[in-house]
Amino acid sequence: MTSQVQALRAADGATLDLASVAATLADQFTVVTRPSQLIRRVRLDTFDRRLHAAELTLEHQVAGSQERLVLDGPACSSTVTVPATEPRWPVLAAGLPDGPIRTALAPVIGIRALLVVSDEKRRVRRLELHNEDDKTVARVQLDEPATATAAPPQLTVLALRGYEDLAGRALRLLTRAGLRQVDHREAHAADVQPTAGIVATSPAIELLAAQLGEFLAAMRDNLPGLLDDVDTEFLHDFRVAVRRTRSTLKLGRLALPEVMHRRWEPAFKWLGDLTTPVRDLDIYELDLPVMTTWLVAAEATDLDELAQHLRRRRSSARRAMVQGLRSARFRRLMAGWHDTLTRLAEGSQDLTGEQLSAGVLAQRSIRRAYRRVARDGAAISPESPAEHLHELRKRCKELRYALEVFAPVIENGPRKRAVADLKSLQDVLGRFQDCEVQRLALRDFAEEMMADGTPASAVLAMGELIGHLDVEQDRARERFDGAFAGFTRPSGRQRMQRLGGGR
Amino acid sequence: MKVLATYNIKGGVGKTSTAVNLAYLAAREGRRTLLWDLDPQAAATFLFRVRPRVKGGGRALVNRRRPIEAALKATDFENLALLPADFSYRNMDLELDDTKKRTRRLGQLLDSVSGEYDIVFLDCPPSVSLVSENVVAASDILLVPLIPATLSMRAFEQLTRFVSEVEGRRPEVVAFFSMADRRKRMHRDVIEAMRSNGSCVADTIVPALSVIEQMAQHRAPVPAFAPTSRAARCYEQLWAEVRPT
Ligand SMILES: Nc1ncnc2c1ncn2[C@@H]1O[C@H](COP(=O)(O)OP(=O)(O)O)[C@@H](O)[C@H]1O
Ligand SMILES: [Mg+2]
Repeated sequence: MTSQVQALRAADGATLDLASVAATLADQFTVVTRPSQLIRRVRLDTFDRRLHAAELTLEHQVAGSQERLVLDGPACSSTVTVPATEPRWPVLAAGLPDGPIRTALAPVIGIRALLVVSDEKRRVRRLELHNEDDKTVARVQLDEPATATAAPPQLTVLALRGYEDLAGRALRLLTRAGLRQVDHREAHAADVQPTAGIVATSPAIELLAAQLGEFLAAMRDNLPGLLDDVDTEFLHDFRVAVRRTRSTLKLGRLALPEVMHRRWEPAFKWLGDLTTPVRDLDIYELDLPVMTTWLVAAEATDLDELAQHLRRRRSSARRAMVQGLRSARFRRLMAGWHDTLTRLAEGSQDLTGEQLSAGVLAQRSIRRAYRRVARDGAAISPESPAEHLHELRKRCKELRYALEVFAPVIENGPRKRAVADLKSLQDVLGRFQDCEVQRLALRDFAEEMMADGTPASAVLAMGELIGHLDVEQDRARERFDGAFAGFTRPSGRQRMQRLGGGR
Repeated sequence: MKVLATYNIKGGVGKTSTAVNLAYLAAREGRRTLLWDLDPQAAATFLFRVRPRVKGGGRALVNRRRPIEAALKATDFENLALLPADFSYRNMDLELDDTKKRTRRLGQLLDSVSGEYDIVFLDCPPSVSLVSENVVAASDILLVPLIPATLSMRAFEQLTRFVSEVEGRRPEVVAFFSMADRRKRMHRDVIEAMRSNGSCVADTIVPALSVIEQMAQHRAPVPAFAPTSRAARCYEQLWAEVRPT
């Protein structure tokens, strides 16, 4: 079992040469050169790189007739290898072979699918370092591209558990011979932020164009996975980007040209609406396992009919959505929007609004959004209908987006705390609203299912769910006053006023 | 995590050979595997080319002055780690006797690595002792190699009695015939007799094969140096029969 890995590179300009590495190590070890192997390495991760963030790497390796999955990385106590034959990607956690890799990965990837992020043919040559008993005590591996386009060669020293000191000794021999250790972080250069260089005095339009460009990129990135139905989060993230676009257009009205309001706000509303039904149904499918645990009188299997009904509804909703996303209208929207953003970013003459600085627009927007939340929230009484709480939830989202969109030009400390304050309130409102929507929808489903001749047991089980949602909704409602008071408490208000430019 | 012990009151019956080969096969199919060589004679440790030395000895492990993680050694094979034997293990009975829950201590020690391994093999010294009581209490499966001879049947009966006297959870006892010679009439008769009196006996028979003896020269598991040998196939078959799901 490998426990530690240290990557090395040649001194500037020099090439890595395994023969001279072996000669260096022969000083203190018996060096055995293994035959070189051609390995196809298929690197896997979720679309949002959850494995990378958790310092794990997962590879499907094919060497000759041998296929295996290898889980490794600094966060792994030891390399885990499992034989795997022709796994199909993308795959959800449940689709991985049963065993240690699935156990280790399931909590990390959650509901996301594993996809191929790179697929390279490599030539791997290994040296085994033996002691006097001819026991392998460390390994050195040279991993070279077998094709011109692949990543550059890499030399690594692999330590074995219980023999780490000997890997250390090998490492010292190699560094003394002129090789350089690669810092783990150095391997991954930081992404360049598109909003880099934008400050409070920059024109507001510059910040808005940069952010809108980011959201468009997110929509495009998520589109293929969404169309292929790889996992539920492609649609979710696509919708977040659409919602952020809509909020930014709204927040930016003062600084943006009129056409943005007239043409693009309705266009993105259409796109949002197009994707809503599938998302709503996704939420049920994701929640169903938890909902099953709510049942008291009914059996878990009584919900099978509901699950089937949801799947049928979802596939027809998906057909409609996919049709919309493959339509000329959608293509025109994406192309036209790209074009508009390009011209906006270039400061095109026909696309100007009021000359405002990013800082001023940020202050105005945050101030305004905060006032609305405070005003609407204060007006909520025990008699307020659910609709009013729903409206308040939307106001909160606007404030949240304002705090996000203008993040590059406002103070980060107070901003983060303001978001945290807001989040508790949003959680309560979100739970309240979700219960409301799910309760009503379950009623509709029950009617549809009864019309289809579903057995009573299924409908009764759904009744239990509705009862549970009702209680939870009341509970969320009870927590509202406390959450709102927490949000409007003096320290929070002061913070918000500071972000909103005083007073 | 499942614990599988190769155990027999008698020595020289194939406990170590079986533990080493099955542990190798478990690791090869992707299970994170640990082999604990509990025998102070250190035969399994030798076969993996590891030095029979544990810092602080068995005593430090048993009284938890040193975690067992610190004593683990990677073998030359992926997914397979060894907790080596140490000559001081010959005193392990005394050390266990000094602890609270004297019959459960080994199991407790293994709990500390349960997140890291899917399967643990215990290669036991041939004896009836506090160590074996601990092994029985810690195991899910006791795999008992039997040489088909009347004498070894007696030993097997003793063993079953011993297991049935252990308090608490008891392992499943699975016997299999080791070093059997199908040509020997007596062997055939004994196998028949065992089956008919209701003992759990694996279908796989590991015959007497010289490749198995050669493990000592190669210092490696059979399937590693003779992957297509009959012996390798026998161990694969045995593993398929006894492996926990
Ligand atoms: N099936 C077999 N055929 C031939 N020799 C065997 C076989 N199984 C074990 N041996 C040999 O018999 C001796 C004792 O085996 P071992 O596995 O060490 O038994 P134990 O651990 O029960 O003392 C060793 O020399 C081993 O190589
Ligand atoms: Mg032995």
